Amino acid sequence: MKIAVCIKRVPDSETRVKIAADGKSLDEAGVKFILNPYDEFAVEEALRLKEKAGTGEVVVIALGPPAAQETIRTALAMGADRGVLLQIQGLHPDGLETAKALAAELRDAACDLILFGKMAIDDYNHQVGPMVAELLDLPCVTTVAHLEIAGGKGTAEREIEGGVEVVEFPLPAVLTTDKGLNEPRYPALKGIMAAKKKPLDVKPTAPGPGALEILSLTPPPERQAGKIVGEGSAAVSELVRLLREEAKVL
Amino acid sequence: MADSGNGKGETGKVIPAQYQPPLPLDKLLLPVGAPGAGDRMELDVVIVGAGPAGLACAIALAQLAQRSGGRTALNIGVLEKAGALGEHSLSGAVVNPRALRELFPELEDREFPFRAPVTKEAVHLLTAHRAPRIPIPPTMHNAGNYIASLCEIVRWLGEKAEALGVNLFTGFPAASLLMQGARVAGVRTAATGLDRDGQPLASHQAPNDIVAKVTVLAEGTRGMLAQAYLEWQQVGAENPQIFALGVKEIWETKQPLDSIVHTLGWPLPRDAFGGSFMYPLEPRLVALGLVVGLDYRDATLDVHALLQRMKLHPLFRRRLEGGEMVEWGAKTIPEGGYYSIPARRSGEGVAILGDSAGLVDVPSLKGIHYAIQSGMFAARAIFGALIAGDTSAARLAEYDRLVNESFIMKDLYRTRNMRLAFKDGFFVGGAKAALMSLTGGRFPGRRIGVEPDAKVERRFTPGLRPGSVVPPDGKLTFSKVDGVFKSGNATRDTIPAHLVVGKDVTPEAAAFYAHLCPAGVYEVVDGMLRANAPNCVDCKATDVVGPRWTPREGGSGPKYKRM
Repeated sequence: MKIAVCIKRVPDSETRVKIAADGKSLDEAGVKFILNPYDEFAVEEALRLKEKAGTGEVVVIALGPPAAQETIRTALAMGADRGVLLQIQGLHPDGLETAKALAAELRDAACDLILFGKMAIDDYNHQVGPMVAELLDLPCVTTVAHLEIAGGKGTAEREIEGGVEVVEFPLPAVLTTDKGLNEPRYPALKGIMAAKKKPLDVKPTAPGPGALEILSLTPPPERQAGKIVGEGSAAVSELVRLLREEAKVL
Repeated sequence: MADSGNGKGETGKVIPAQYQPPLPLDKLLLPVGAPGAGDRMELDVVIVGAGPAGLACAIALAQLAQRSGGRTALNIGVLEKAGALGEHSLSGAVVNPRALRELFPELEDREFPFRAPVTKEAVHLLTAHRAPRIPIPPTMHNAGNYIASLCEIVRWLGEKAEALGVNLFTGFPAASLLMQGARVAGVRTAATGLDRDGQPLASHQAPNDIVAKVTVLAEGTRGMLAQAYLEWQQVGAENPQIFALGVKEIWETKQPLDSIVHTLGWPLPRDAFGGSFMYPLEPRLVALGLVVGLDYRDATLDVHALLQRMKLHPLFRRRLEGGEMVEWGAKTIPEGGYYSIPARRSGEGVAILGDSAGLVDVPSLKGIHYAIQSGMFAARAIFGALIAGDTSAARLAEYDRLVNESFIMKDLYRTRNMRLAFKDGFFVGGAKAALMSLTGGRFPGRRIGVEPDAKVERRFTPGLRPGSVVPPDGKLTFSKVDGVFKSGNATRDTIPAHLVVGKDVTPEAAAFYAHLCPAGVYEVVDGMLRANAPNCVDCKATDVVGPRWTPREGGSGPKYKRM
């Protein structure tokens, strides 16, 4: 079984990000970057499928700056077999241009499965996986929380509002993974050693300008200080009044 | 949580050593092949700690191997307990560049990860309201040195090491030394993914055994494995090692600062040794800290609270007000100097570097360049030993010889008694230190003896509360909980407790711990000691005088960025 996992290098969720001087991008100085957490579920699932099948290959593909090699090494240390970096200079292109570059790489790769995290935690776009499926004319199941593959087809469970949707699909297919699908492994010492020797192919890539333009980024408004209404039962009526009249949630 | 305890019932005296548990040698020392490990890996050299000493050692080893023209390919691994490089590294820091210049002779100073050269410096003697400048003590001149963040130096060294083929294993603390007779045969890493009771979770990974021809202990201040080795092999020193605790903050300020500033005096009581520093990483990015020797007498002294109070002084306040505290951290410093360095820092298959060996010069406030240099010396000795196929104590003693004959020991010998003189208080110590400077270290002509910090009697003095502080305002002053948050500490709160508390800890001893710990790990609740272990930022302060610190799951603790 051959599985491709598309991953992204993103700022650590614990990083306090700052907006760069241009007002449209992040100031990367001092920012720690990690493998997008939703992509970790995808890598882990690919490794489990390969381990279960007893044979196959897991290829991780990233589109990003030269430093994204580290992100790929993380996935290789978890157990993926080889990596491909579609190396860009400068900022990430929009979702469609990213999808086109990935699709071009994947078109002749003859994968049984192409996995994505359901979204990247930096731009929250949820776009690239389904777009790649569309460009490759493959079936696509998003936000997969449980997965079975058997006999050339798959069954995926998706957590939808108030229930679970079960989807059956033929291979090859594109899936995007959700939290809860699995518990990603930590890279083991031996895995980290082995990762240094695994092939990592760097391919300079020049995506098109794209149709979307970021005009500006602004930080969320500062949180207002909380209000202590009072103490004991005397405060209840005041709290109810405020919830009704000020917060308007009752 | 009370920052400094409420003072109720805090009377009498405490001798902390009476409540300190012994080093858990049964866990820190294991025979090679002991059951319980998962993977086993063999390396030529395993280095514990990716700080300046450990990384310099790895780099120098890889350089030597490279220069041998590939005849000697070395498998070098560096274990680091932090989740990423530099996240547990904290220093002032004003750095002497000489060791880095020797490690990278092809690079210019401007290519080093320094922020700025020191161009102006000032020392102030603080009183509660005033801050007269005093002449800069001869040992504290910093012309030619650079302001830097140790986190950044470590990340830069890590990149250099990786480029040379060194294996960096971040998130893997070494938890035990593997013994083979009197020989150190490697280390065992800490397990991950255990619950509070030590039961494995889904993310569990068993410890790994790393067997190596040479094990290098570069754990930094108060290294556990270094302590265990020295106790196991009964390697002594003329004086016990003594420590200080530093609490540091990084501020984005509105007012620019163009000078490094040190202060002495207020808010410390006169029987405590220490001082503050304020260094501009950038004109509007200021590192600020307070360092206090752990031989202080007042049981309620609280370094974090003192730092908060210190910021109310006009000297600091006018620079910080309107700015934002963006990072907080704490770390101990080995302060004993020359007489506290272990008689040998090498043995069968082992070498001890940098802060773990006590290579710090307090009068000049320097240790980073000694750490780097010790790593380079160790690399030379180890490389020779590996070539000769002989990593015995006799062969690795070359490392001790190199250190002993170098500027490291020369510097430390010259200032050998300066820090020790301050055990008699600020004024007597200051006068003696001045005489030492004048005589090039010859005064008083003998070693000043000291006791371990744990044996220093602490008293609760009614009315005198050096640790007390106005309630934190969240703008200029902060609680310990605020500090821990700003350290980036996001330790899983269900990991097994890693702090070993002594038996029968009295309420007084408990109160002493609560004041001492800058991260609010210890609290006194109804007269009982309570430990909030996940708060721990690995500063090791209570390890010196009380509860023992032991390695825990990799990636736990702080996530320093520019400390």
